[in-house]
Amino acid sequence: MADEVLRMQDITKIYPNGFVANKDITFGVGEKEIHALVGENGAGKTTLMKILFGMESCQEGKIFINGKEEKMQNPLDAIAKGVGMVHQHFMLLPSLSVAENVTLGVEPMKHGLFDFEAAVKQTQEIADKYNFNVDARRKVADLSVGQMQKVEILKALIKGAKILILDEPTAVLTPQETEELFEQLMKLRDNGHSVIFISHKLEEVMRICSRVTILRHGRCMGTHDTKDLTEASLSKLMVGRDVVLKIEKEDPTAGKPIVEIKDVVKINAYGKRVLDGLSFTIREGEVVGIAGVEGNGQTELSDVLCGMGGFATGDVLLNSGSIKGKSVRDIREMGLAYIAEDRMVHGVAADLSIKTNIVADRFDKKEFRHGLFMNSKKIDEVVDGYIKEFEIACDGRNQPVRMLSGGNIQKVVVAREFTSGANFILANQPTRGIDVGTAEMIRKTIVRKSRTEGTATLLISADLNEVLECSDRLLVMRKGKVVGAFPKANEVSEETLGEYMLGVKEMTLEEMEGLL
Amino acid sequence: MNKTQKIEVGMELLRILAGLAIAYATALIILFSISQEPVKIIQLFVAGPFSSARRIGSLVNLAIPFTICGLAMCFMYAVNKFNLVVEGIFMISACMVTWAALSVAPANLPAGVMVPLMYVVAIATGTLVAFIPAILDRKFKANVVVVSLMLNSIIGFFCTWILRYKIKDSSISFIGSKEIPESAQMASIFGKFRIQSGLVVALLCLVVVSVLFYKTPFGWKMRMVGANPNFSKAVGLSVVSVSFGAQLLGGAVAGVAGATEMMGNYTRFQWVAPTGHGFDGLLVAVLARRNPVLVPIAALFLAYIRIGADVVNTTGDIPTEFVTVVQGIIILLVAAESFMAGTKNRIIFKEAEKDLKAKEAAKAIA
Repeated sequence: MADEVLRMQDITKIYPNGFVANKDITFGVGEKEIHALVGENGAGKTTLMKILFGMESCQEGKIFINGKEEKMQNPLDAIAKGVGMVHQHFMLLPSLSVAENVTLGVEPMKHGLFDFEAAVKQTQEIADKYNFNVDARRKVADLSVGQMQKVEILKALIKGAKILILDEPTAVLTPQETEELFEQLMKLRDNGHSVIFISHKLEEVMRICSRVTILRHGRCMGTHDTKDLTEASLSKLMVGRDVVLKIEKEDPTAGKPIVEIKDVVKINAYGKRVLDGLSFTIREGEVVGIAGVEGNGQTELSDVLCGMGGFATGDVLLNSGSIKGKSVRDIREMGLAYIAEDRMVHGVAADLSIKTNIVADRFDKKEFRHGLFMNSKKIDEVVDGYIKEFEIACDGRNQPVRMLSGGNIQKVVVAREFTSGANFILANQPTRGIDVGTAEMIRKTIVRKSRTEGTATLLISADLNEVLECSDRLLVMRKGKVVGAFPKANEVSEETLGEYMLGVKEMTLEEMEGLL
Repeated sequence: MNKTQKIEVGMELLRILAGLAIAYATALIILFSISQEPVKIIQLFVAGPFSSARRIGSLVNLAIPFTICGLAMCFMYAVNKFNLVVEGIFMISACMVTWAALSVAPANLPAGVMVPLMYVVAIATGTLVAFIPAILDRKFKANVVVVSLMLNSIIGFFCTWILRYKIKDSSISFIGSKEIPESAQMASIFGKFRIQSGLVVALLCLVVVSVLFYKTPFGWKMRMVGANPNFSKAVGLSVVSVSFGAQLLGGAVAGVAGATEMMGNYTRFQWVAPTGHGFDGLLVAVLARRNPVLVPIAALFLAYIRIGADVVNTTGDIPTEFVTVVQGIIILLVAAESFMAGTKNRIIFKEAEKDLKAKEAAKAIA
């Protein structure tokens, strides 16, 4: 074992809402090591790393860097002490160039002004040194996700980071981009850097990491050498039970078309065609999955379908009516239920009660009213029923939603959307960042509703496993278009999918005939 | 309620009380340091407002416009629009009520018709005036704070113009309107306390606004829009319409406040500048945490320190302005949401740890 460059000792962090995110966690990272930090969603990995990076303070515990105790006051402080972090969600300024983003905070100056040429030179130098293939002059907005990630890593390296934290770096990458990232990480390791690699993907961990620390429910389950572990034994340590990756479902009996998307074009504020002549149909009783690297039009598609964002040309029919120019309320009346991508922004009002959140889309309907007033008794009754049905762990219907855990907040969202009586469910990242149990419940409900009630579902997810196991038909989106269509999602391999996602392969319209 | 929730509610209450206590203590310190006879002055400040029936009456009378203006501000505050036009509406509503009352005076309407008619005028005026910043906000995204403040200046001069050229009584030595007909003067109630009958109006407003906030679909919509506009849009609410509607309703309530003050406390309209009631309303709404039910309590507290300041001013050597300092501190401490947040988090942390230990102990036994 090489010298230990980082040690976190007995870290305890409790959030103001009483959630114990980390409890007495201890782990160390050696020099020239890629160290994996794994655990289920909500196990406390990100929190632990935020503490290391000075973004959160912990109530108890010590951090040692090269054997010396350090206090991380804030991210600047952490950077000064040689810690760099690449966040799950990129922190870049899209309208600026790569060089400007990379040198932000350590800008080269000339005559008291920012020296762009020097910034480009510095950026290119460090990019070349580690074999990062990026153009320092390009605007970040024009980069692919994989390149943006490189910019993030460069940002940390230029500030002299010796310890790099990568928070689920491969979540947004295609398999091929992942390969490239791994090569670069190994190169960084050989150059004397230490990497903390946070991931859910066990085979990645087994491949590139020498040791792995497992967190479960905010506690440390120990550090192991990866060579002593198998994927199966590692997954047991993580979740305490075997992960079920299959959903049992019979073949769909697809009926009449519910949603018909016809040649939709959407142009964003920068003039980019984010939806570029998109056409496909979702039928009664089937789940259509959309796979694709994030940022290829999935968010825009979901905005168009739920009425949050308009579109330039084309048309969308929902239950035979056009949604063009309709308000969200109108579209919901026409049969839409919507599980939003970012649940804290579009899914719930965190400060309001569970009750208000559950009936938010329907409380002014006749059945919940006594003339001018709300029918509290009826609402309470209905809400209590849903809390029970969806097993929302809470202290009653009047508890503010913000006090619940992520999974339970999502249960509040689905309790509303799954019971609205809609026959089209738009599920955008329905299980992102929530516990396995809730995720399974949501996936199973989506499938069950399509089979027993004939709902049409559009499932957009960055979790390949999820789109593959839940969907009947699978479409791959790239650059605002459908570039691949598969009749049976569970028969598609991740490798094939990756090739379409990355643009190595593309199907012609003829090949996709009958599948759109 | 679970433990965390209880701690949060408790700490919220404690925080407001601590804010009030600190402000009050500051007032006492100021009085102590600037007065020649501090002990007597402090006695006057603390107990003065309750020292006579008339003073208690004044306290309640002062709390009445504070309450109604506070309720009006609750609407603006509920949808996160700091529309300060309540200040201007309070003045213009009183002015319009006077003008209308004088105009219909020849008809000799009975009070039973006159007073409701005046309230109709007031509500119409309030809604109409509130419409201006609200529509500018809705159509052109004009900053509602700036627009409403500017509008208040315009209203101030407009009312002065009406006063001087339309309703002025040239037989009196000061600037004031002609006396409004007796049928439009609301009598005092409770004999020697001389409390204006506007008390009834204020209580009525309180009930109506509270029911509207918590028992009607529109109230739910307002609170949802205030809590998270993005979410409200995603579940199908029209955020602009709701906040637009809330601002109009707030304007209507502010109109009622102006009319009540005019008919309950005065016989002539004689303001030549906005009175500050709108800002008092804001203070009250902030203190009440945008919860209409708590508005009267906040209004009474504000009235209490104001009357206290009046008492020390008239009987002692202290200028009333020192109360402004106290108000400033209250706003600062109550509006600053993180004040005492550290203490709150520590308590929650301790409780969570205790729970954890209890759970572990239970597990160990099992």
